[in-house]
Amino acid sequence: MKRILALTFSAAIAALAGAAFATPAVPDAAARGRKAFDRYCISCHGVDGDGRGPSAEWLDPRPRVLTSGTFKFRSTPSGELPTDDDLHQTITNGLHHTNMPRWGPITERERGDLVEYVKSLSPRFEKEPQGKPIAIPPQPAFTPDLVRTGQDLYGKMGCANCHGDTGKGDGSSAPTLRDDWGFPITPRDFTSGPLKVGDEPRDLFKAFMTGLNGSPMPSFAESITPEQSWALVAYVRSLRKE
Amino acid sequence: MSKHLRWIAVVLLVAPAMRAEAIPAFARKYGMSCTACHVAWPIFNQEGQNFRDNGYQFGLGKDDPVTLSPAYIPIALRTTPAYQFTRQTNQPSDQGPITVQSGGVPLPPGVDILTAGTVAKDISFLLVVSGFGPDGTASVESAWARLDNLFGSGWLNFKIGKFELDEPASAHRGVALTYGYAVYGAHPLGSTVGFDMGENQVGIEIDGHDARSATRYSLSFTSLNGGEVLSGRESGNGWSSPMVYGHVQQAFETGSSVLPWVRVGALGGIGWWPTTFDTSAGTPIAGTGREHKKLIRAGGELSWLMGNAATPLFFTVAYQYGREDAGLAEAGTTDPATGIDLSTVSNSFHGGFAELDWVPFSESSYNSVPWLLFARYDIVRFQRGTGDVDGGTIGVRRYLALGPRASAAIHLEAHVDQAKGIGAPDPVSGLPMNVVTQSVLAGVDFDF
Repeated sequence: MKRILALTFSAAIAALAGAAFATPAVPDAAARGRKAFDRYCISCHGVDGDGRGPSAEWLDPRPRVLTSGTFKFRSTPSGELPTDDDLHQTITNGLHHTNMPRWGPITERERGDLVEYVKSLSPRFEKEPQGKPIAIPPQPAFTPDLVRTGQDLYGKMGCANCHGDTGKGDGSSAPTLRDDWGFPITPRDFTSGPLKVGDEPRDLFKAFMTGLNGSPMPSFAESITPEQSWALVAYVRSLRKE
Repeated sequence: MSKHLRWIAVVLLVAPAMRAEAIPAFARKYGMSCTACHVAWPIFNQEGQNFRDNGYQFGLGKDDPVTLSPAYIPIALRTTPAYQFTRQTNQPSDQGPITVQSGGVPLPPGVDILTAGTVAKDISFLLVVSGFGPDGTASVESAWARLDNLFGSGWLNFKIGKFELDEPASAHRGVALTYGYAVYGAHPLGSTVGFDMGENQVGIEIDGHDARSATRYSLSFTSLNGGEVLSGRESGNGWSSPMVYGHVQQAFETGSSVLPWVRVGALGGIGWWPTTFDTSAGTPIAGTGREHKKLIRAGGELSWLMGNAATPLFFTVAYQYGREDAGLAEAGTTDPATGIDLSTVSNSFHGGFAELDWVPFSESSYNSVPWLLFARYDIVRFQRGTGDVDGGTIGVRRYLALGPRASAAIHLEAHVDQAKGIGAPDPVSGLPMNVVTQSVLAGVDFDF
C-alpha cells in the first residue's frame, strides 16, 4: 500500500513539475492568432484544428492534427513538444512536397500569434514543458570515407526497409506504412528534392536524431552518435540525383 | 470642342470598373480558402501578392501540373448578375439639357473565363476572356506568359503579352463594380490619347521582388496601341506609340498592433502618341499616325493596414500627375474659361484616390470573412480646360461563400461623381454644364 501511495505521489509530483515548466499559449496572442487561423488555415486543418478541414480529404499528405500536440518537424528529442521556434519555422517556411505553403509573406506578428494559437489547440502545451533543442555539432566535410561510413550505417540501421536500397523511398515496408492516425505515409525519396522541412544537411541531421513524431520514422539518438549521424547525412545527400 | 470629344472625356473619366481577376481555380488547386490570398476577394493580401509575384507558385513542389490530379482543370468562371441604375444630368438633346436615366439587369449578365497557373516550373500564364453579354461578343482581356525566377532569382522575371500594368491599386482587382479609378483614365480636355492606365496593355514586363514581396519593382515596355479601348487614332505599328512604365514598392512591418504594415510606392511612365493621320472623309485612319508627342504619368501611393492583419482596415491613398504635350488635344479645342486653343499648349492634371476596405470581423467557419465594407474617393484636377472630377463610391459585400472551392457575394454599391464643364451647354451662358452621375448596383457576384 505504501508503495502504491509512493508511486501515486511521485506521479503527481512529476505531473505538477511538468505543468510548472509548461509554456502554455499566451491568451491575448492566441486570440489574435485565432483570427489568422480562421483566415489562413481552417480549410485544411479544420475549424477546431483537428486536421479535418474540407480540403483535407484531397490532400496528400494529410494536414497535421494540431489538437494532438504531435509534430513531425522539431528540434527537440523524440516524443517531446516542439519549441516555439520550430512551430514558427514551419509556418514561415512551409513544408516541401505538401500543401502547407510558406506563410513568410504575412506579418511577423501574425505568424507569432499563429504559434500561440497552435499551442492553445493541444492540452499538451499546458501540461508538459516544451522540449529543448538537441545539440548539433559542426558539420564535418563530406569525404568519400564519411559517405562510405554512412552507407554502412544505412544498411545496419535498416533504413533501406522503408527508404529502399537506392533511397528512392521504395523499401519493402513502404506500402504498409501508416502514420499515428492510420493514414498511409510515403517514405522520403532521397534521390530527388529537399526534405519536407528543408534542404540543409542539418535538417537531415535533426530528422535522424529527433525522429518524426506521429510517423514511423524513429529517432536514432539512442542508437548512433552525432558523428555517425553526420555520416548518415553525408551518404543520404550523396543519393541526390537532381 | 466638339460634342464627340466631350463624350470621350466623360467616358474616360468615369469608365466602368474593370472586371476583377480572382481565380478560385487556385483555391481548388491548393485546397486553400480565398481568404488565404485575399484581404477579401478580390483584393490581394501580402500572401496573394507574393504568390502572384512568384508566377502563381508557392515553390514547395506542388505547383507543377504533373504533381496534380489529372482531373484538376485550371479554369475559373465569374459572372455578376446585377441590377444597375444610372442617372446622368445635363446631357445634350434636341430639347436642351436633359437628365438621362437607365436601369436594368443585362441578360445574360456576361461571363469572365479565367485560366491561369503554371505550365511547368517557373513558366506561368494568364488568359482571361471576357464578355458573352447581351451582344454576344467576347474579347481577350488578358493573355500573357511569364518566365519566372530567371537565373534562380525572384528579382528577375519576364512577361510578354497583354497584361495589367503594376499599379498602386489594381484596376482589375478593385472591389467596386460600378466605376473604376478616375485618375487612371484621366486626360485633359480634348485629348486624343487612347492610353488608359487601368486597361491592360500589350508589351513586355520585367519585374522582380524579394522573398516576401516586401520590395517589388516592375518595368514595362508597352504599345499604347494595345489598350482595351482603341481610339481609332493609333499609329503605324505596335511599337510606334511606345510607353515605358515603371513602378517600385517597399513594404515595412512595424510590429505594432495598431499599424502593423505600411507600403509606399512610386510610379512613372512616358509614352508617345501620334498627332497626324491620313484621313478618310475627314476621319483619321487607324494605323497611319505619325508626328508623335509626349505624355507622362508620375505618382506615388501609400497603403497601410490598421488593426489585426486578419481583419484589417486596409487603406490606399494614391496620387498621380499627368502631362500631355501641345498637339495632343484636338485642334480647335478651346478652354471655355480662357478661350485658349488647347491644342497649342501642353496640359496637365493632378489626381488620385483614397480607398478604404474594411473586414470588420472574422468567423470561425469556412466562410471566415463574412463582410467587406468599402469606400473610395476619386479626384482629378486639370491645369487647363474643364473636366475636373470628384467622385465617391461606397459599398458592402456579404460573402455567401469564400471557401476552398468557390466564392459568392451579395454586392451592394452606390456611386456619385461630378465632372465639371463637360455637359450640355448652359442655355443662358452657353458654357458646358457640370455632369453629375449617380449609380446604384445590387447583385450577386459568383466566382467558381
